[in-house]
Amino acid sequence: MKLTKTLDELDSKRLVASYGVPVAVTTMLADPDEISAVARQIPFPWVMKILSEDILHKTDAGCVRLPVPDVGSARAAAGEILANARAYKPDARIRGVLVQEMVDADIELILGVNKDPQFGHTVVFGLGGIYVEMFKMVSLRLVPLTRYDAIQMIDELPIAKIFDGMRGRHFDKEQLVDALLALSRLAEEHPEISEIDVNPFLLREGGGKAVDAVVVV
Amino acid sequence: MANLDCFFSPKSIAVVGASNNPRKPGCIIVGNLLQKGFPGEIYPVNPKEAAVLGKAAFPTLSEIPGEVELVVLITPAAMIYGVMADLALRMERRGDIKALVCAAADYGETKTAEGVRRQSCLLETASKFGIRVLGPNCIGVIDNRTRVDTTFVDAGIPADAYNTQSGISVISQSGSVATSIIMMGAARPEPVQFNKFASLGNMTDVDFIDLLEHYEQDKTTSVIGVYMEGYPDGRRLIETMGRIARKKPIVVLKVGRGQKGAKAASSHTGSLAGSDATYDAAFRQYGVIRTDTFGELIDTMISLDRLALPRGGNLYILSQAGGFGIYCADNVEKYPFIRMPKLARATADTLAGLLPPMAVVDEPEGYADITASASEEQHAQSLAAILRDDGVDCVILITITPSFISQKKLGESLRDAYLALPEEYRKPVYFCIMAGEYVRESRRILEQAGLCTYDTPLEAVRSARDMMRYAGYLAAKEESL
Repeated sequence: MKLTKTLDELDSKRLVASYGVPVAVTTMLADPDEISAVARQIPFPWVMKILSEDILHKTDAGCVRLPVPDVGSARAAAGEILANARAYKPDARIRGVLVQEMVDADIELILGVNKDPQFGHTVVFGLGGIYVEMFKMVSLRLVPLTRYDAIQMIDELPIAKIFDGMRGRHFDKEQLVDALLALSRLAEEHPEISEIDVNPFLLREGGGKAVDAVVVV
Repeated sequence: MANLDCFFSPKSIAVVGASNNPRKPGCIIVGNLLQKGFPGEIYPVNPKEAAVLGKAAFPTLSEIPGEVELVVLITPAAMIYGVMADLALRMERRGDIKALVCAAADYGETKTAEGVRRQSCLLETASKFGIRVLGPNCIGVIDNRTRVDTTFVDAGIPADAYNTQSGISVISQSGSVATSIIMMGAARPEPVQFNKFASLGNMTDVDFIDLLEHYEQDKTTSVIGVYMEGYPDGRRLIETMGRIARKKPIVVLKVGRGQKGAKAASSHTGSLAGSDATYDAAFRQYGVIRTDTFGELIDTMISLDRLALPRGGNLYILSQAGGFGIYCADNVEKYPFIRMPKLARATADTLAGLLPPMAVVDEPEGYADITASASEEQHAQSLAAILRDDGVDCVILITITPSFISQKKLGESLRDAYLALPEEYRKPVYFCIMAGEYVRESRRILEQAGLCTYDTPLEAVRSARDMMRYAGYLAAKEESL
């Protein structure tokens, strides 16, 4: 038997953020009474979702609400999310409800780490969100990555041109390079990690942010 | 690091299972050693023959009076127990054998209990006496300089070609692929002799890394070619290849890309093919040139051995034939890192002065059509003019020789014009003189002068692309230091 542990979204985001991957502002609501206090830190609209290591497909479970425009809606959303989670998986361990800033996106990307049985850790980069499985448009490099490797990974994607600017919009390619290097460092320093999925990483003008992340140890 | 010199330059070779029957591999091995003029002692071992191909034979290994450094085993696998007992006897008395090539198959690769037992008998006896083992299930080694050839391959290379030397050293995991690479090299307009050649088979002892490191240190090796199915420690393999690739190019054909192929590899040499996407990424990341076809593998190895690396990404197409010129341009354009440059004014003027009036230069940029009326000299002089242009890093020359052109004169004119250039202008030229047997003479003239010819523009583009990519990798690594 293989012993694995999946870090929940909040811990996963904190871990990748601590290495320098840009992550959307996220906090946990342990109690619905905290909503007003959180609203002073994270301006509306919000994204609210369940925080449970046992519920991986949060949207399917009815455990994501967006956009949440104000305190009243937030209170209702928190109740619904918790109820749906219990209905979806009665024995799921639930830490609370996540509150995250809403992030607009021009492109959804995936950044990640895998472990190959013959080569060890690899970093992946590609088209993210719902397109991951459909197009499998990803590039791959072995850890550790050099800056040159990270640039090559971006450039060899069929959609590479986008990162040099699209219809007058300019994206921060350097930020992507740095994020890939950050994941490489993270994997190098933590051999126990078997998988990291930063997906989607929402890219928009001026810079991107991860809105979901999973780390499997 | 393991010293593999004992395989490539032994003082003496014993062939256990040597035979006078020309249909048996034990006969061809002795024949190859004799024909290539191996200068050391050759000891055929056969209990029923007094001599094999005129060489005195011995009933067993232990009865050979002289010193034995390399043993080639070509006896049926079931006999391994007796042969190893006799080898042990010899080692206790003489202790002279340093290396063993086990050419026979039906060992561990069959994954049967008996096959595995045979393989461990072989390996245990050998390692007890510190003998390095290549195989089983392989064709052994060739060294074109020391005239060692333990293979049972008759590639049909004319004896006078044995003296041609190259810097290409090859490692093949499969014996039949090794055989075919040797035969395909032999079938080129001018036969290619590989510098060193080793077939790995089951890799019980000597493996990819041992041989890569041997070729890394070998001063006569300038290019390393690899056919591989799988290797258990991909990380160590790629780090070794990456270190070597900074000094010498490594050209790889790696199979087992899909599920069926990977399964076939597992039963062939017992290898785990691994994830192809990871291998592919690893090769790119560490500067290893991956090829898709055997033709490309051989073309690119030869090109890297003979030609300088292009100094930049500017490729000029000089064509005497519109159709193939277009075909070539189509293939060049697939690779965004290859540019087709406009010639300098002075070069364009020179070409206008020497080409037929119908010729078209730089339409489109990076492309000249010298037309079917071009003479041998016009081919040669226009090539020289373009090579002198500082904006050009390499040239693909295409010609479909019409009957009024002399094959001999064309080859000689191109060769002489090229060799007359100052060294800085002897940039890589990928010659496509088409087609088939008809143009063999011009191709031979160029190949004998150390230049490279290709069957069609597609092969030329692939080798040019491989070299540009490798040059780009080296430049980027240099920059990041």
